[in-house]
Amino acid sequence: MSSKVSRRAKLGLYGALLVLAVPFVFPTWWMVTSSFKPISDIFSWPPSLLPTNPQVDAYRQVFELQPFAQQYFNSAYIAAVVTFGTLAVSALAGYAFARIRFRGQNALFLVVLLGLLIPSEVTIVPLFQMFNTLGWVDTHWPLILVPIFGAPSVLATFIMRQFFIALPGELEEAARVDGLGRLATFWRIALPLARPALGAVAIFTFLHSWNLYLEPIVFLSTPEKFTLPQALTQFVDAYGGPMWNIQLAAASLTALPVLAVFVIAQKQFVEGLAHTGLKG
Amino acid sequence: MRARLTAAVTLAALLGLTACGGGDAGDSDGPVSLRMTTWSANEAHLALFNEIAEEYKKANPNVTEIKFDPIPFENYTTTLTTQIAGGNPPDLAWIFENSAPDFVSSGALVALDDTLKGTDGYAFDELTPAATKLWQDEGKLYAYPFSTSPFGVFVNTDLFEKAGRETPAELIAAGRWTWDTAVAAASAVNAETGKAGLVIRDFDYKGWDNLSTVWTGWGAQAWSEDGKTCGFDQQPMVDAMTFLHKAIFTDKALPAPGTTADFFAGDAGMTITQISRASLLADQKFGWDLVPLPAGPNGDYAVIGQGGMGVLRKGDNAKVAADFLAFLTNPTNSAKLAQFFPPPRQSQLTAETLAKTNPLLKPEQLQSVVIDGISSGVVKPSHTGQAEISQAVRAALDPLWQPGADVRTVLTGVCTQIKPLLDR
Amino acid sequence: MSRTTQVVDRAHARSTPPAAKPADPPRRSWWTTRRRDQLAGLLFVSPQLLGSIIFVLLPLGLVVYYSLHEWNVLADTFDFVGAENYRALADDPNLPSVLGATGLFSLGLVVLNLSLALLLAVLLNQKLRGTVVFRTLFFSPVVVSLVAWTIVWGFLLQDNGGINGLLDTIGVDGPNWLRGEATAMLSVVVVQVLKNVGLNMVLFLAALQGVPAELYEAARVEGAGRWTQFRKITVPLISPTILLTSIITVVGSLQVFAQIAVLTQGGPGTSTTVLVYYLYQQAFQFHHFGYGATLSVLLFGIVLVLTVIQWQMRKRWVFHEQ
Repeated sequence: MSSKVSRRAKLGLYGALLVLAVPFVFPTWWMVTSSFKPISDIFSWPPSLLPTNPQVDAYRQVFELQPFAQQYFNSAYIAAVVTFGTLAVSALAGYAFARIRFRGQNALFLVVLLGLLIPSEVTIVPLFQMFNTLGWVDTHWPLILVPIFGAPSVLATFIMRQFFIALPGELEEAARVDGLGRLATFWRIALPLARPALGAVAIFTFLHSWNLYLEPIVFLSTPEKFTLPQALTQFVDAYGGPMWNIQLAAASLTALPVLAVFVIAQKQFVEGLAHTGLKG
Repeated sequence: MRARLTAAVTLAALLGLTACGGGDAGDSDGPVSLRMTTWSANEAHLALFNEIAEEYKKANPNVTEIKFDPIPFENYTTTLTTQIAGGNPPDLAWIFENSAPDFVSSGALVALDDTLKGTDGYAFDELTPAATKLWQDEGKLYAYPFSTSPFGVFVNTDLFEKAGRETPAELIAAGRWTWDTAVAAASAVNAETGKAGLVIRDFDYKGWDNLSTVWTGWGAQAWSEDGKTCGFDQQPMVDAMTFLHKAIFTDKALPAPGTTADFFAGDAGMTITQISRASLLADQKFGWDLVPLPAGPNGDYAVIGQGGMGVLRKGDNAKVAADFLAFLTNPTNSAKLAQFFPPPRQSQLTAETLAKTNPLLKPEQLQSVVIDGISSGVVKPSHTGQAEISQAVRAALDPLWQPGADVRTVLTGVCTQIKPLLDR
Repeated sequence: MSRTTQVVDRAHARSTPPAAKPADPPRRSWWTTRRRDQLAGLLFVSPQLLGSIIFVLLPLGLVVYYSLHEWNVLADTFDFVGAENYRALADDPNLPSVLGATGLFSLGLVVLNLSLALLLAVLLNQKLRGTVVFRTLFFSPVVVSLVAWTIVWGFLLQDNGGINGLLDTIGVDGPNWLRGEATAMLSVVVVQVLKNVGLNMVLFLAALQGVPAELYEAARVEGAGRWTQFRKITVPLISPTILLTSIITVVGSLQVFAQIAVLTQGGPGTSTTVLVYYLYQQAFQFHHFGYGATLSVLLFGIVLVLTVIQWQMRKRWVFHEQ
């Protein structure tokens, strides 16, 4: 399919891509440009594509009204801890489910897989009770522990398992014949080979944690502990009405760095996945 | 509750989860920390609340912390309920008017009468009955209506000028400010300027309870006073809805379903909303005015929206919390809160007091809309199990918002849907 | 010998692990490879397993326990009612329409998401300059705040909104998207697909780039057209990715409700009230926690059955070719 493309086909292809891109890009465009508009202009219809009189006020206020830098740090460090924790847990489990033969393997895999199937709205009340019993409400623990061990990490384990199943095992077998133990084989041979899958898992997990919305709202009650999606909801005027320009400025600040990381990492990520990737 | 927690703890223990005995809440004599959930994260609000809390802590050294916990508006009741269900209720909570009957009648809140009446200088008797009615059950007050905000009509006078119509103020002066003239004017504004005529804010063909600002003028009710009889299929409601339907689809006085227009962005001639929204007009480029709701066939009327503050019975320090509530809402502090929230206290409902804190509004606007509104206002419809009823009404009313809808049939259908819910 | 079969064989070999090797000669003791593997396997999966038990199974067990109770949080009543909630479930007049909406939503979402993701991936897999830019553009909604995303689409889908404005220029009188039952469902599906299709697109793209170019060359020599190549080579070779993405998407489709809540609130009528939204309403808005828990159990059952079916079906078509 990736053959030489004729000039005409090329033009058609670009055209198709451009048209398809519009619905994907317009909302982001609106979000960013609106954050530079005065609040009364944001919802005027038809929308202006560029702010007629750009203001950066909203960006200043983002940091004045909330401890936004602290909240940024919270989101970043929680997402980082969750990502690394998930990588550790899921790589180990995924490797074992794919490579090691042990009794109860299939049953245990099914037990783990259940975690993928449960929406967080279903378990939020019992989880809240558990964390409350532990005295961990209004701490970051629920936002760290549940993703590392709960549904998101199950998805990660699933991806890792699929990856290792597809990965040729000769290298590892050779290493084992040389007397390397399971853990050492995993750590020195298998894990380096698994970098692309780890990359995919890292992106999924990071985004999941970064965008987590319901849980922070339910568990956290101190502004200094808030995460970004929760902080976005805090920019409201005296009557509970959202201060749109500030919310959108904060939303832009939340989205753009992640997008930037994707732009930088995507080549390595996509192509890395492709070479040894999730293809079988 | 106990059974439930025990189950959770037992299961956790069985699985080797070490529960580090976190549950011993402070003794009533020891240091107390209070938490109040609010739906406002507004900086100015929180600053004022914290200032009052500081003062209280100074006078009551055993209270070491008073924390205000802002929860986003849309998730407010969900989060509050989850916290209660999870065994970590706040000590005090703001309560939406539409969940008032649920909270008041369920026994979730502490009755406040004794504490408030027993507080020196509280002047309990000056709370207006119109404001406290919703928050009472069997003669006891379960929450303090800290915000009682009447609905009024904001007018974009520039658009009226452009359309060459008499402004509502002129109509009022001429004694002709009725729904008929209001809709005629809105229709003209729409025809002449292309902007929306009249927007019922937050209605958007979903938030139907905001329509009570219209149908009350016909003497219609969503349900009877005792909450047992459906009012949608009765004649006043049919008349009011027929009028509204014609205003939308024939006169084009209101934006049609699926179109929105923001008054505060200058896109509508008039909007019906709570007067507290006046702050949005602080740096507005168009000329504006605020007038009372137009008269309906049943004469003049007013509608108010409310927010209450209650003490959770399951909180660890209910007694202290109630005492703090009494302090927070005493005449001095109530006057401070009045700059954001119209107070329920008779003595503070004067144009002069309110003018000090609402510089955007003229004394006659305050008198005609706020003061008269609060004393005579009808509260928006609410009922035990409101959320469920509200959802059912929303769904059953949807067929009405079509050009050829048969109003009476749809409204009868609404009653069929909510009858079993009203009977609960 | 094509690489296809190699891949296929290898995969088969993995899914049925090779027979255990004889134990190492020097240590012919109790501590055999098998026993060591048993221990290693259990140790490796233990963090995940314990986590699943504590943060997934235990809460799920509690949900089942709640579903046997009438629990009114506000009134603080928690009474055992046995199967009462399940009887109520069977009699719930709303349930047929809720399940119908759920099925429609999930089906629409999965079909549209997977086919669009695959289409985008195939387009971006052409040797073209600038695909990196487009890749980023298609992925960008994934990181955009859900709130901003939904607001913009709410505006675009208005009767006098951007979509109908566009349709107007080509002489089509667009419908009132969010106010008609069929178009409202279509709208929430599309808005949701556009938000998340980037993730699946990236996975497909990775899979496509893993398909060896020689295979296409060979096929072309044999005179196979593009469509045949796509069907006979591409699809079978990326079928494991299709399985993965379809499981993730099916499961995800049953858990979406924030956008529905904002765009349509389940309306018009109850046409977009899907199961998870209904569950949320019952438990958190109507305060029927016990009944909400019962709906959770139902939702869980549905997801479980669908996943098991997909998992079984993989034996039929994943890796399968020729």
